[in-house]
Amino acid sequence: MTLMWIPLLPLLGALVPILAAGLGRTACAWATAVLPALALALTLSLIPQIEGSSSIQAQIDWIPALDLSISFRLDGLALLFSILILGIGLLVILYARYYLSAQDSLPRLYAYLMLFMTAMLGIVLSGNLLQLWMFWELTSISSFLLISYWGYKSEARRGARMAVTVTGAGGLALLGGILLLGKITGSYELDVILASGDLIRSHAWYPVTLVLVLLGAFTKSAQFPFHFWLPHAMAAPTPVSAYLHSATMVKAGLFLMARLYPALASTDLWFVLVSLTGLATLLVGAYFALFKHDLKGLLAYSTVSHLGLITLLFGLGTKLAAVAAVFHIINHATFKASLFMAAGIIDHECGSRDMRRINGLWKYMPYTAVLAMVAALAMAGVPLLNGFLSKEMFFAETLQQDFLGSLSWIIPVLATLAGIFSVAYSVRFIHDVFFNGEPINLPKTPHEPPRYMKVPVEILVGLCLLVGIFPSLVVGPLLALASSAVLGGELPEYSLAIWHGFNTPLIMSLVAMTGGLLVYFNRRHIYAFQKQFPEFNANEAFERVVRRLLAAASWVLERLDNGSLQRYLVLMLLLWVLVVGQSMLHLVQLAGDRAQLPLDGVSMAMALLLCAGALATVIYNRNRVVALLMLSVVGLMVSLVFARFSAPDLALTQLVVEVVTLILLMLALFFLPQRTPRESRPSHILRDLSLSIVIGGLMGSISYAMMTRSFNPISDFFLQNSKTGGGGDNVVNVILVDFRGFDTLGEITVLGIAALGIYNLLAGLRLFMPSGDADGRSWAHDRHPLVLATISQSVLPLALLVSVFIFLRGHNMPGGGFIAGLVTAVALILQYVAQGVDWMKARVRVVYPRLIACGVLLSTLTGAASLLFGRPFLTSWFDHFHLPLVGDFELASAMTFDLGVYMTVVGSTLLILANLGQMTTSERPVTKEQD
Amino acid sequence: MQHLIILSLILPLLGGLLMLLPPINVSRVRQRNFALALSAAAILISALLLQQAQQGVIGVYALGDWAAPFGIVLVADRLSTLMLMLTSVLAFCSLLYTFGPRNEDGSFFQPLLQFQILGINGAFMTGDLFNLFVFFEILLIASYGLLMFGGGKTRTRAGLHYVILNLAGSAIFLFALGILYGTLGTLNIADLAQKVQHLDPGEAPLVRAGGLMLLIVFGLKAAMLPLQFWLPAAYAASTPAVAALFAIMTKVGIYAILRVFTVIFGDAAGPLSHIAGAWLWPLGLMTILIGAIGVLASQDLRRLIANLIIVSVGTLLAVIALERENATAAALYYLLHSTLISAGLFLLADLIARQRGKVGDRLVPGRGLGQNRLLGALFFIGAIAVIGMPPLAGFVGKALMLSAASSVAEMSWLWPLVLGSSLVALITLSRAGSTLFWNLSGKPAEIVRANPVQLLAVVILLAMPLLLSVFAGPVTGMMAATAQQLHDVQGQIGSVLQPVTQMVEVK
Amino acid sequence: MEALYAFCVGVLTASGVFLLLRGRTFPVVVGLTLLSYGVNLFLFATGRLNVSDAAVLGAGSNHSDPLPQALVLTAIVIGFAMTAFVVILAMRARGDLGNDHVDGRVPEIVLDSEERN
Repeated sequence: MTLMWIPLLPLLGALVPILAAGLGRTACAWATAVLPALALALTLSLIPQIEGSSSIQAQIDWIPALDLSISFRLDGLALLFSILILGIGLLVILYARYYLSAQDSLPRLYAYLMLFMTAMLGIVLSGNLLQLWMFWELTSISSFLLISYWGYKSEARRGARMAVTVTGAGGLALLGGILLLGKITGSYELDVILASGDLIRSHAWYPVTLVLVLLGAFTKSAQFPFHFWLPHAMAAPTPVSAYLHSATMVKAGLFLMARLYPALASTDLWFVLVSLTGLATLLVGAYFALFKHDLKGLLAYSTVSHLGLITLLFGLGTKLAAVAAVFHIINHATFKASLFMAAGIIDHECGSRDMRRINGLWKYMPYTAVLAMVAALAMAGVPLLNGFLSKEMFFAETLQQDFLGSLSWIIPVLATLAGIFSVAYSVRFIHDVFFNGEPINLPKTPHEPPRYMKVPVEILVGLCLLVGIFPSLVVGPLLALASSAVLGGELPEYSLAIWHGFNTPLIMSLVAMTGGLLVYFNRRHIYAFQKQFPEFNANEAFERVVRRLLAAASWVLERLDNGSLQRYLVLMLLLWVLVVGQSMLHLVQLAGDRAQLPLDGVSMAMALLLCAGALATVIYNRNRVVALLMLSVVGLMVSLVFARFSAPDLALTQLVVEVVTLILLMLALFFLPQRTPRESRPSHILRDLSLSIVIGGLMGSISYAMMTRSFNPISDFFLQNSKTGGGGDNVVNVILVDFRGFDTLGEITVLGIAALGIYNLLAGLRLFMPSGDADGRSWAHDRHPLVLATISQSVLPLALLVSVFIFLRGHNMPGGGFIAGLVTAVALILQYVAQGVDWMKARVRVVYPRLIACGVLLSTLTGAASLLFGRPFLTSWFDHFHLPLVGDFELASAMTFDLGVYMTVVGSTLLILANLGQMTTSERPVTKEQD
Repeated sequence: MQHLIILSLILPLLGGLLMLLPPINVSRVRQRNFALALSAAAILISALLLQQAQQGVIGVYALGDWAAPFGIVLVADRLSTLMLMLTSVLAFCSLLYTFGPRNEDGSFFQPLLQFQILGINGAFMTGDLFNLFVFFEILLIASYGLLMFGGGKTRTRAGLHYVILNLAGSAIFLFALGILYGTLGTLNIADLAQKVQHLDPGEAPLVRAGGLMLLIVFGLKAAMLPLQFWLPAAYAASTPAVAALFAIMTKVGIYAILRVFTVIFGDAAGPLSHIAGAWLWPLGLMTILIGAIGVLASQDLRRLIANLIIVSVGTLLAVIALERENATAAALYYLLHSTLISAGLFLLADLIARQRGKVGDRLVPGRGLGQNRLLGALFFIGAIAVIGMPPLAGFVGKALMLSAASSVAEMSWLWPLVLGSSLVALITLSRAGSTLFWNLSGKPAEIVRANPVQLLAVVILLAMPLLLSVFAGPVTGMMAATAQQLHDVQGQIGSVLQPVTQMVEVK
Repeated sequence: MEALYAFCVGVLTASGVFLLLRGRTFPVVVGLTLLSYGVNLFLFATGRLNVSDAAVLGAGSNHSDPLPQALVLTAIVIGFAMTAFVVILAMRARGDLGNDHVDGRVPEIVLDSEERN
């Protein structure tokens, strides 16, 4: 479990700087350093346990469903990387304290650094591939924060976005690859996957898996052609660059290749993909580094090329190559980190990083110059420095492969060429910056940096020397551990001696040296040649691409979604036609075997009127008043149809609803245009006609198919239990108030809500009031004709009486609360029309929203009452009583329920119609008004 | 304690009604506090129901004491109670948000919110298809009302489209119900599932037509292509609290699809089993695509989030189309996450918009925010969650769903689209974030500070993905059990259609 | 008879759908109303057609299926509420957007303009 603490400590460490922010910069730095230092100590203390090729594990179950456990695993490779991450991390913390200027928040940088450190440690220590992926993405996220630390600079923002996009995309590909690995091996646990290399390599999905995984690795490690994000990540503060691009972020990709080496490597596909990519990257990086005038730019491209070198080594697939790769990972980390820091010092002291202006710093900062030069020579691969050793091994390995058959010689040659360039740019780094005349108008006169800013550089450069001179002594054991972990146990024979005799690799080195010097001192010609090519700025290119993408998306979307309701409807109806049509094609025969009713004159007449009405509504739809009248004819016919087929309740309801709807539409028409302009394109009319006819046909035939088939519905139950269980003869009504009373409750709720919503709509309505009808005829002056008034008044009591009657008989005969409610409402509306709003307002003191609420409340409480008797909601109760004179009569809970319905209906209808009516008068509801 | 089930519906209904009457309707403040109390109670009730359902027993509540299939029953199983819980949490946060400066005008707002909740809860709890229609209408009419709050051109247009489309949808719903009743002679979902199994194959095409028409209706609610066009406008137009609550509305559609096409047209439905998959799979995948395009094309934050919802819907539908237990479980886990996070982002977008002055939530450089750091951090967390990056729940959900795809065909369609849409989200959100919080054209005109209560609502919602991933183990276990119960059709039929419910024993 | 009935359902549905696809709010509302007529007849017919059945118990021997009737009643009421809402919404849209087009903007091509606003 001690293993868990290695990543956990830096995670906690993310809080430390924020807490220690108050203590001043130095204290904050030291405080921040404590926990990583502890973690480092912990790591080193674990070394004895992983001697040989063994590993130690720590596991906690997390998501069994995903086979994702929190599992950490320390072996040689993980050890090496942990040491690099923590060690260099500590140096960076110290360095950053002096690098960062006072106005930049040090704690924020530290917090981000710690998060990033945790993520990196998580990657290298993961014992589970999915978990590894988690941390992989976390490095993308935290590096986004680090690179965009100076978020107010546009290049910082863009650089960060580009980095997170490229590495994020690679990460997604990697996830795909990991999931495939999981599906192949049946587990994400590293041990399982490393053990089943043959299974994976022989599996049909191996190529896809490999490509996906490598995409992840290559994007992260800035391999060609994904290398372009790395140089722009230099917008980050130099300490960040020193960390991300020497030991950590970009090394994650290499780590992944090393980690999965036993599972994926040593196939031809692997060789082709990895080594050729590496080779290309090596060359591209080395070449372009030469042309960078920005100090950090040069280092960035040299990083790219060194990453390529290591990738190439992994690609070669020989055991020794793997060792060399691991070795170079160590060396590159040390000298590149120190170089970045040196560059940071120079930047810090000169206020510029442009090598055309920074010259002859030797005079001003000799000490720093020495450090920088040693590191640079290490980068160039000069003997007695660590870079030399690994580069020798590299050259040696390029000679040991024969994948390209007779053309295999190409690889060593190109490798040497790359060597030449790397020497050249290293020399440039030294000569341009420290010699080559005087500085050219720098913002400030350079001088040695503060004491402690140099310490990290000293340590790293010291390591370069030590490793370079006493390799086997200093780095031997660690290298052996790590390499054996990569190779899964057996180590090849190799010696870390400085002198292997006068052999081909040495010659290659010498060629590189001399060639490099030549190239540098004749650089003018190469520059001139390079000048002919247009300057390519990946940052802007990327931005352009993204913008194009966005533009394209908008373009496509406008084509698809033109904001036209008609199109949305057409799409929906088309889908309807498709699904129904596709199903109906399988219906063998339309007509079922159920006995059909004979045709008779009445029905035919009704049908004729019905269809005529409907078609007339369509044909005259542009003259809206006519259309409305036709519509009402249809409505009337529908109710007659219900009556004809023995459904009196339906007929009644349909009738009254029809009346109210008609009044409503009439009132609405007062505010809406009374004609519809002819504006539909003929093509649209055709489209709509065919669509509607098809749908009509489909629904009609389904209806026919159903009516002519017999079925056994559940409704016999209702017929049997209506009297006994529901206490009513009118089964339909009993279903409404009892069997399915819950539906009715919902239905009146809908009605009530609709009324409330309508009230709000009217309250916010800006009115458009015509003075006359479409043909310019002005409205009648006599708003409340006397005749109408008198008649309506005399009608009112009658109407109320009727509604009471309808209400009471509802349970046993056709009728019920809803119809009664509508009748009442209509009668009252008639009063509004006849007498005017003011007259009514004086007499009717009901606040309609409250009436609605009370209505629904009454029904709900009626239902809830049964809870008191321990019965379910809406359990009905009824009984027959005998009173003298009155005789037998029945009381039922259904009646109060229905009363609630009645109240809601009256309330809603009047709320809607009365308020709508008021629109025509001075009385209008206002937004803020209560109810 | 059976009555808990009905309580989950009576509570919002009575609450909404009482808010229309004195003494509560006299002041907004009173209404709000009352609503908050209701919402807290709702969370308690849902928690209890959820906890009961985790015992594995399916609670059946026979309304009016009429046993299924004759009466209407409410069914409290693992899935419905889970959705109930989700709704309650979401509603609570939306409600908290109404405590801020922008308190919606009109004394009907809070009641409508309650009725909306009633509709949603009812849709989740009911075991009867026609009753589902009724509750759909309740939640729709309430949402119409809520959507129109505040007024304004865009809102009116969006509202008009939304309403008309849904009215047409309701018509289709009724046709479908008619077909199912006219062929199978019943309305109870479990009973339908049972009747489908003994259906005369000659009639199968009719039932199939009805079933697939239901798919259209639910697809319209869920914003499935080609029925998703209404969503961005409507969600972007509605006030923040409403938009946050709407985050569950698409999930109502998805729930209905899951329920109907797993239980009625599930494994046991003979010739009609898995009729939805053939449509859901391509449509879901295309929905991801169109959503991603919308995400790229979005000019303002709200639309961006709305389109992200479409992407998540597409993903869910495509995974549900696999019609396997593990796929359903994965989808459910992701459903929880995506609902909560999109609601949180809607609220956050409003906070951001209000601190940015007149540029609002448009993705253009503007003045700095009053609380740049704070809101920036929240946005960062929300973005990571919604993109589906570790360590938040989005990543767990996506990993689960991706690994639920088994055959090469499934993988080669689902993976590129899901991963690609994640990349799109990554690109757009990183752009949006750096534009909103870093690309500043100056200091804020006047420092606007977020109302603490509203902030709390956002924080709660954004904390959910973290909790979901920390406790991913137990949660995924829960989802697996839920999916298992949902796919056990016979088990559901058995427990819903048992002749006597626990209630009747009281007699 | 059944064929005739089904034909009527088809006609109502078709006319409803056609008007639903018009560009102005009022025809759309009318279309929705027609469509709901079609729906209600369709729903009613799922109980199969019976000419001379007793509506209430005791009044006759054989009864028509009551459940679809109840469903249609509910549907009618809800339809009424919805129609009312959409009508007022249409008015509101006219007020807010200045015209009665469903998209709030009058298309370029108006073949003859009787539009008065």
